[in-house]
Amino acid sequence: MEAAVSDQAAGNATSPATNAASAHRRAFAYGLIAFALVACLPLLPVNNYILAATVRALIFISLGQAWNVVAGIGGLLSLGHGVFLGLGCYTTGILFNKYGIPPWFGVWGGVVLSLLVALVMGSMTLRMRGVFFALATVAASLAMVQISRHFVDLTGGADGLALKFFGNSLWAAQSRTPAPFLYAALAFVTAYYWITRWILNSKFGLEMQAVRDDEVAAAAAGVAVFRTKMLGLLVSAAMTALAAGLYMQFYMAIDPEAAFGLSQAIQLQLPALIGGLGTAWGPIIGGAIMIFLSEVTNWGGTKVGISGLDIFVYGLMLLAVVLYAPKGVVGTLLRNTVKGSGR
Amino acid sequence: MSAVVLEVNGVARNFGGVVALRDVSFSVREGEVMGLIGPNGAGKSTLFEIISGNLRPTAGRISYFGKDCTTMASHLRRRAGMCRTFQKVRLFESMTVRQNISVAASQCVQPGRDVQEEVAAILAQLRLEAQSERRPSELTLADRKRVEIGRAIAGYCRLLMLDESMSGLTHDEAQHLIEEILTLNRSRGITVIVVEHVLSVLAAMVKRLVVLHNATVVADGTPTEVAHDPVVIEAYLGTKQKALR
Repeated sequence: MEAAVSDQAAGNATSPATNAASAHRRAFAYGLIAFALVACLPLLPVNNYILAATVRALIFISLGQAWNVVAGIGGLLSLGHGVFLGLGCYTTGILFNKYGIPPWFGVWGGVVLSLLVALVMGSMTLRMRGVFFALATVAASLAMVQISRHFVDLTGGADGLALKFFGNSLWAAQSRTPAPFLYAALAFVTAYYWITRWILNSKFGLEMQAVRDDEVAAAAAGVAVFRTKMLGLLVSAAMTALAAGLYMQFYMAIDPEAAFGLSQAIQLQLPALIGGLGTAWGPIIGGAIMIFLSEVTNWGGTKVGISGLDIFVYGLMLLAVVLYAPKGVVGTLLRNTVKGSGR
Repeated sequence: MSAVVLEVNGVARNFGGVVALRDVSFSVREGEVMGLIGPNGAGKSTLFEIISGNLRPTAGRISYFGKDCTTMASHLRRRAGMCRTFQKVRLFESMTVRQNISVAASQCVQPGRDVQEEVAAILAQLRLEAQSERRPSELTLADRKRVEIGRAIAGYCRLLMLDESMSGLTHDEAQHLIEEILTLNRSRGITVIVVEHVLSVLAAMVKRLVVLHNATVVADGTPTEVAHDPVVIEAYLGTKQKALR
């Protein structure tokens, strides 16, 4: 009798799994519409400013997605992810300017270098618990600022490194208009979204989430904690360095502060923090919100003659998220539906 | 005679000047359900952490099926079948019940066995099917403990170590859990070590008790023998006035 009543109740209520599946379908439909709108943007009568802002948003969504892998899914608070962005940008730029290696190949040099740095950083810190990893990433960032300033011949020092400009060139991955970058950035966002979803649904993703939730319990469940953390860091570093190649081609220049500075590090974290840590949609929504507010405040700041207003807004956004929506937009809106696998 | 699953040989552990364990030795045979008991501060938790690989002993060695595993990492012990629960339940709070069990099943499942099949079997055996898509925060304490046991045995388990699994449960809930643990012992042939500090909880469950007091083993025998042991009575009551029940 009791079982019958229970079965009936289960039949009437919508299960969490059904809710989640339904929310995934809705989110996917909205995502497809957004993708189509962005893809059509260059065909519409919009100016280059709007296109460039969209590219910026897409690049930061990609970078945010990469940070989300290590911090959101893996729970490793990397406060200096700019290291991998900077290594990607500088390596791509130096190989192109000095040795004529096109960014299509040069970017892989940045990926390899980032992997090596991540390997060294991880080997030294990932066996420790607590804040050591976070501190190590900050220390690495500070060190990279000094290193990039020191080797002036190679990096341009404090003035930074500007790419030689070839105009519209497929070989040099350069364009006078933002439209080609928009498609490239859209491809990055799509690929990184699917990579994040794949990770979330994979055995590796479950291991990362287990380690994030409780390292001791994860080890007691048979998870190789150090190896899992290291792999997560390597994947995230590679993703960041790869997206850095696009960043470099779009901005055409990089300097120590833009690569390794605190402000940049916060910008890499905000998409996932605003949108929802550990979710595939979070950085997409968060990145869009971040760049939209940044552009609006920059425009407003210019009108009233105040510069750097966007940094102030980033700080406010961070504060608002921490205080009112620690799970981010996605986590807050869909708390009871889109959780667990396939977020 | 059944094989020795676990052998603790002369294990000692110091924390600075504090002696947490001193020359602790005992062994557990395959299929046995053994209780490890002692008052607060006796060294049970330290011993438990050493056996499960989270702490290294200062001296002595731990053998598992005759092989020295004193320095083996905890996740490798788990994959070898040494499984544990925690005194304060430690589940993966962001995951569903099914995912909690899947994490362990995917690491430790035996060749030829499907992970999802293994998870389904454990959910069924521990009567957790209805809660499989819920998160730990939505469960009662008794269910949380069952999920933790499910995660502990998922995949491959030869030795299950339970750290005060009955604490915080009502009498009925504790009885149900004891029955389920004994069923696991019989149906899966899992050797069980239960750590408790309340003797009466274990008396109905185990045939053998090892008593820790002041960092060392002071008694090893049947619950009846242990309950009448003057050293144990003194350890628990501070006087030699009457036998424990």
